[in-house]
Amino acid sequence: MPNMIEMTDVHKSFGRQKVHSGINLNVVKGAITVIIGPSGTGKSVLLKEMMGLVLPDSGKITVDGVDIETATKSRLLELRKKFGMLFQNAALFDSMTVSENVAFPLKEHTAMTEREIKSAVADRLRMVGLSGADDKYPSELSGGMKKRVGLARALALEPEIMLYDEPTTGLDPIMTDVVDDLIFDTQKKLDITSVVISHDIRSVLKIADYIGMIYNGKIVRYGTPEDFRTTDDPYVRQFFSGSKDGPIKVY
Amino acid sequence: MGIIKGALELTGRKTLKMFADAGSVAVMLMDAVRMIPKRPFRLKLLLKQIEFIGANSVPIVILTGIFTGMVFGLQCYVGFRNFGAESMAGTIVALAMIRELGPVLSSIMVAARAGSAMTAELGTMKVTEQIDALYSMAVDPVHYLMVPRLTASMIAMPLMNGICILFGLLGGYFVNVIVMGTNASMYYDNSVLYVNGADIFNSMFKALVFGIIIASICCYNGFNTKMGAEGVGKATTTAVVQSCVLILMFDYIMTSFLV
Ligand SMILES: Nc1ncnc2c1ncn2[C@@H]1O[C@H](COP(=O)(O)OP(=O)(O)OP(=O)(O)O)[C@@H](O)[C@H]1O
Ligand SMILES: [Mg+2]
Repeated sequence: MPNMIEMTDVHKSFGRQKVHSGINLNVVKGAITVIIGPSGTGKSVLLKEMMGLVLPDSGKITVDGVDIETATKSRLLELRKKFGMLFQNAALFDSMTVSENVAFPLKEHTAMTEREIKSAVADRLRMVGLSGADDKYPSELSGGMKKRVGLARALALEPEIMLYDEPTTGLDPIMTDVVDDLIFDTQKKLDITSVVISHDIRSVLKIADYIGMIYNGKIVRYGTPEDFRTTDDPYVRQFFSGSKDGPIKVY
Repeated sequence: MGIIKGALELTGRKTLKMFADAGSVAVMLMDAVRMIPKRPFRLKLLLKQIEFIGANSVPIVILTGIFTGMVFGLQCYVGFRNFGAESMAGTIVALAMIRELGPVLSSIMVAARAGSAMTAELGTMKVTEQIDALYSMAVDPVHYLMVPRLTASMIAMPLMNGICILFGLLGGYFVNVIVMGTNASMYYDNSVLYVNGADIFNSMFKALVFGIIIASICCYNGFNTKMGAEGVGKATTTAVVQSCVLILMFDYIMTSFLV
């Protein structure tokens, strides 16, 4: 299977804090890759590196064969059209209503008419269970609702690569299931490449084709859900059992 | 020795950073200028910014103009009275308002009012990842956010300058003619006598440059905001201070070339 995104020996520090010290990760085309790992280990930074929002200090990242670092600004913008990203905090435009947020990428990058956009937006909002919230502003939404608007916006253009930063954190169990299905179905329907960051073990095992576990600046394990279910790798076992005792240090 | 070395090092570092920042602002400005003719044209955003930077600044610019003209007119009247040339006050008020006070004061007012809000808005967008979100949707923030603000400032600033000058002249006229009783036609004649087209053109040119300074400094500080609400506050203060200082510096530089 060809790789959509390849990260080779990526290092990244913020000031004196080392976040990534040699990340090697291949994201398989047309599959769902889930990244797990303790809080603060650089999962969100990893997603931003894939899109060129954060540049690594050293190492190489290619997307669909294009080296992000050497790409020109216009080439990079072109490349980003392939991507959709759901930010951890949703990152909605707070001076726009919910429907304006979802319509934004459509207005920017398609020749759709006002009417077509309107129906596409209604469609996306229904998909995430938010019909009727069209005219609200982000500050008037709950955390989970913001996340779902962010999801609708990221999926609006039906991108080739979707990056989800904790899509189900903050959602109730039923909504979690809905969003898991949404990720799974869009993936199968549009044959897109997805990278999902998740803390929710149950949904990880349900939707993932591949799982990568990040700890201490490195991918400490990469494999299929089957592998993660059965391995006796102490990192994986500790993370899955949610115990504070083990090789992953909290203090 | 340690203290001296430390002080030198600090000065050196600050100076280097200042030049580096100036370079980055210039690069961003060039980037924005190059993007002005690029599609899509965001007319709605441009009009919104013209309303915000221009239309909404009108009241404060009028007040600034009137009171500056009045106090300056009064000082000139008192000064010229010493040698009985009260009616010459009109000349000085007109030249000063057109050449210096109009462009400088109106742009400092716009920097304080609209520039600060510009930085605060962009800074908030930066710290809440909305700028990253723009990038992620393949929209260049410089094109989407800075270009409309830059163009709007370039259009609005000369207009604000004109309004400031107009009301400054009215203020001067009011104090001299109505309050102090200088002969109206003599005052008027002296006002227009020494003003020529080049003065007005240069004044508008200054306002245009100040508009560019405000937009680039305020956008730059907004885009480079770090660390939350406090960061937004800091960026805003820095942006207004830098804009004002640069306006005064560029005023001198331009004047020395123009006179
Ligand atoms: N812009 C930044 N400037 C400085 N430090 C940063 C920046 N972004 C992230 N960091 C640091 O990098 C580390 C990794 O952050 P990141 O957001 O990727 O964690 P995470 O794995 O996504 O955690 P969580 O599961 O809680 O979301 C953190 O310690 C954070 O302090
Ligand atoms: Mg995160």
